[in-house]
Amino acid sequence: MTPAYLVENLSFSHGDRCVLKIDRMEVGPGELVALVGPNGSGKTTLLHVLAFLAEPQEGRISLFGQTSTGRNLMPFRRRVGLLLQQSYLFHTSVLANILWGMRIRGVSRSVARSKALAALELVGLAGFENRYSSALSGGEAQRVALARALVLDPDVLLLDEPSSHLDRESVQRMDEIVHNLNRTHGKTVIMTTHSQEQVKSFAGRVLHIFGGRLSSASLDNLFKGNLREQGSIFDTGKIIVRLSAPVKSAAYLTIEPSEIILSMGNGGKDVPNTFPGRIVAMAEDNGHVAVEVQAGERFRVALERSVAHSLNLRLGQGVSVVLGDESVKVF
Amino acid sequence: MNYIFESFYRALLLISGFDAEVFFVVWTSVQVSAVAIVLAALLGVPLGLLIALKQFRGRQALLVVLNTSMALPTVVVGLFFYAFLSRRGPLGELGMLFTPAGMSVGLFALALPLVINLVLAAIQGLDPRLFLTCKLLGGTPNQQAWMILKEARYGVMAAIVVAFGRVISEVGIAMMLGGNIKGFTRTMTTAIALETSKGEFELGLALGIVLLSVAFAVNGLLFLLQRGKA
Repeated sequence: MTPAYLVENLSFSHGDRCVLKIDRMEVGPGELVALVGPNGSGKTTLLHVLAFLAEPQEGRISLFGQTSTGRNLMPFRRRVGLLLQQSYLFHTSVLANILWGMRIRGVSRSVARSKALAALELVGLAGFENRYSSALSGGEAQRVALARALVLDPDVLLLDEPSSHLDRESVQRMDEIVHNLNRTHGKTVIMTTHSQEQVKSFAGRVLHIFGGRLSSASLDNLFKGNLREQGSIFDTGKIIVRLSAPVKSAAYLTIEPSEIILSMGNGGKDVPNTFPGRIVAMAEDNGHVAVEVQAGERFRVALERSVAHSLNLRLGQGVSVVLGDESVKVF
Repeated sequence: MNYIFESFYRALLLISGFDAEVFFVVWTSVQVSAVAIVLAALLGVPLGLLIALKQFRGRQALLVVLNTSMALPTVVVGLFFYAFLSRRGPLGELGMLFTPAGMSVGLFALALPLVINLVLAAIQGLDPRLFLTCKLLGGTPNQQAWMILKEARYGVMAAIVVAFGRVISEVGIAMMLGGNIKGFTRTMTTAIALETSKGEFELGLALGIVLLSVAFAVNGLLFLLQRGKA
């Protein structure tokens, strides 16, 4: 099946600073994807590139099998709907805001009007058409912007931190609309968030982004460093991790918290990727027990409640962090 | 002091009595200024928009020239166009010197950089998300430019109003290119200068009151525009 997006060897820079470097990213048609990463990780830049608003210096992007050449991005741009983190509404009525995108596409006034009213109803703002945009609350403005994007019937919907700056009701409404579009209408949706909490209840695929690079692994244990010995070792400056297979390039290493093994005591130094340390924090987290171990780097380990109980863990206790081959990912 | 009050009283009488000479002078001022402003707006607004939105070689140098030309002394503009429009000048054959058309050309040259600069500033002062929004909604460059201009409408109108206030109150260009010919090219500012020097203080004062009223109206309009923007 032709993917909705296929991104290959993409590189995007601001001046000399490379802000995005993605070897490959594929999003299936009708897929729901969350891009998760801290502020400044490149999420918004990636969305702008996917919306064909910013042109990458290298690489190629295909939208439903059609590759953009970089010369005429307009046809691609018109197939993508992007909701900005804080949307801008034109200083006119709500209706005129929603009509503009259709009018410039040559949709007749009467058809455009009926579509706009239907879109307003969809986002729960029926009867708002004659209000002036500046009289809306932040949540209402964001929903008008969503209606303005949806009314153009884009093939892909991109949402930049849709729940930030919104009241609870607007967040729920937006979530419902977006999930409904994805499930019922099979719309491909990519959304960004910096909240790890939000991702835990997310129904779709999660991609982590850090330093402009994508990773499918969690960013709970994220360490910056360098490859050594022909890419077989990753050195963070505090610990040295032996990789299961050499890699060509990587600047970050992540370890899934639930895949870390805790070994009691400080033994096992000779076993590869075993780091002795001590427990510095423990807390309940979403049905698990999150244990933080200072062992060169500070590791976050997620244990089943029963396992944590049987190990009888306590603060300050000496333990070793053991990283299995599959738990380590570099990017 | 009595002399001033008496002149002021006579000036009010001239205005309230719809004195033909006063009203012809006012009409000439408004006419030449309006022609100049319409032309400056027709050319200056698109140019301001273009310079604000496009990056091109020599843009910074152009901005410096535009800023400098905002501070041009009006007599220098008058002198420059006098050289072009006088009989010996390259445009002498057009016979525009000492005509309302000639004055409008000079006033247009005075207003143009002002309109361009103020439109440029109005567009550069817009929320950067507007430009992104126009683009992401799929506008062509022309459609985007039109929407940006609509969003900058208060700033653009203010630019035109300010430029009108500048040209109607200037004296150097009107004097040098109009020649202050009674019943033909005499404007409020040139008439004030001449009548006062002739000792016809009340006529000068009457025109001064009208000019001040125009300035007041222009500033009132600007105030309303600013309030509309807010």
